[in-house]
Amino acid sequence: MIKVENLKKRYEDFCLDLSFELPKGRVSGLVGRNGAGKSTTLKSILGLVKADEGSVRIFGRDVKDLSVEDKQRLGIAMSESAFSAYLNIEAIARILKQMYPRFEEERFFELCKKMSLPVRKQIKEFSTGMKARLKVIIALSHRADLLLLDEPTAGLDVEARNEILDILRDYLAENEEASLLISSHISSDLEGLCDDIYLINDGKILLHEATDELLDKYGVIKADEALFERLDKEHILAYRKEKYGYALFTDAKDYYKENYPEAVIENGSIDDLILIMGKRREG
Amino acid sequence: MRIIINNSSMVPIYEQVVSQIKALIIQGELKEGDILPSVRNMAAELRISSLTVKKAYDFLEEEGLVTTVHGKGTFVNAADRQLAAEARRKAVEDELSLVLGKAFSAGLNKEEVSQIFEILLEDQYDQS
Repeated sequence: MIKVENLKKRYEDFCLDLSFELPKGRVSGLVGRNGAGKSTTLKSILGLVKADEGSVRIFGRDVKDLSVEDKQRLGIAMSESAFSAYLNIEAIARILKQMYPRFEEERFFELCKKMSLPVRKQIKEFSTGMKARLKVIIALSHRADLLLLDEPTAGLDVEARNEILDILRDYLAENEEASLLISSHISSDLEGLCDDIYLINDGKILLHEATDELLDKYGVIKADEALFERLDKEHILAYRKEKYGYALFTDAKDYYKENYPEAVIENGSIDDLILIMGKRREG
Repeated sequence: MRIIINNSSMVPIYEQVVSQIKALIIQGELKEGDILPSVRNMAAELRISSLTVKKAYDFLEEEGLVTTVHGKGTFVNAADRQLAAEARRKAVEDELSLVLGKAFSAGLNKEEVSQIFEILLEDQYDQS
C-alpha cells in the first residue's frame, strides 16, 4: 500500500531519512517523542512536505501521480487538518458526500450519534475530545483502503482515547483488507492495535519490530551497580542510569531470567523503549 | 468467546490465546465445524494486534486443532478423543504437581502428604 525508499528531508536542525513498507492489511504504528519526525514522515508520504530525495509510492504509484480515484481510497486525519469551525456536522456530511463516492452517510451519522456528537452544533463549540472523534469518524466515513492518522489520540484523556481506538478496531474488523499507519507518542495506545511498531528518533527508524515480539521478548532489567558490572551485555540494546543503579533494555528477557534469577525483570513496554532507546546517544 | 488476556503476564499473548482456545475445544464448548471469529474481529475483541491472533491461529492449525479455509474462515476440527483425554490427564497432573510443590515448600514430608491425599481421595471418590 505504501512503499517509502530512502526518503530524505533536510531542515536546518533536523534530517528525516527513512525507508519502510506498509503491506496490504497491515496495521503499523509510528512512535517517538515530540519532534522525532512522526508528522513529517506522514506528511512526506502524502506529498504535503516535499522530499529532497527518495521515493514514496502509494497503491504502487508515485505519490505525485495519484489520481482522484486513488485519493478517494485514502482516509486521513492530520493534526492540523480540520473543516471550518463555522460548519456543523450536517454541512460536513454534505461536503463529504460530494467528495467521496463511497461516502456512507447513514453509517457516518450513526457513528456521530454513538460518539455523542451533536450534528447541528458548530464545530467551534466542540470540545477537544469531540473534535478528535469527529476527525477520526470523517477519516473512516468512506471505506478507505488506506488510513493515515497522525496522533489521533493526542491531548485526550484515557476514556476518550479508548473510544477512538475502539472505533478504529471496529473499522479494521469490518474492512479486513484495510491498512493503517498511525502515529502516537502515547505508545500504550498502539500496543493493543498495531501489528508492528516503528520507533522513530531524530528522523530515523531506531527500531522496527512486531508488537507481540516486542511484548514477549523485550524487557527491562533493573540492576544495582554490582549486578550491572557482572551482567552479560550481549543482549542489551540500551541502558540508562537510575537512582538505584541501571535500567537496561533487552530483547532477550528469558535469557536474563534464566541466568540471573535474582535480577528484577519487567515486561517491556513501548514506553520503556522510547525512554531508554530514544536517549541512547546521551547514555 | 470467553478469552481473557493478562497483559502483565510473562506468558506471551499468542500462547494465552492458543491455550484458551485449546481448552474451549477440549471442554467441548467449541465443536467440530464451529467457526472462530475472523482475525481482525478477535483482535478488536481482545484489544491485541491481528498479527498476534494470526500467530495463535497458525499455531492451532499446525497442531491440527483448526483448519483455515482461505476466504471462508478458521474452523474447529473434530476433536481427537484420545488427544482430549490426554490433555485432561495432563491438566490434572500439572495441578497436582503444583500442589505438591506447595506441600514441599511448607515442609511436609512424603508420608504426611500421602496421608492428606488418601483422606481427600476417599472423600471425593466415595461420595460420587
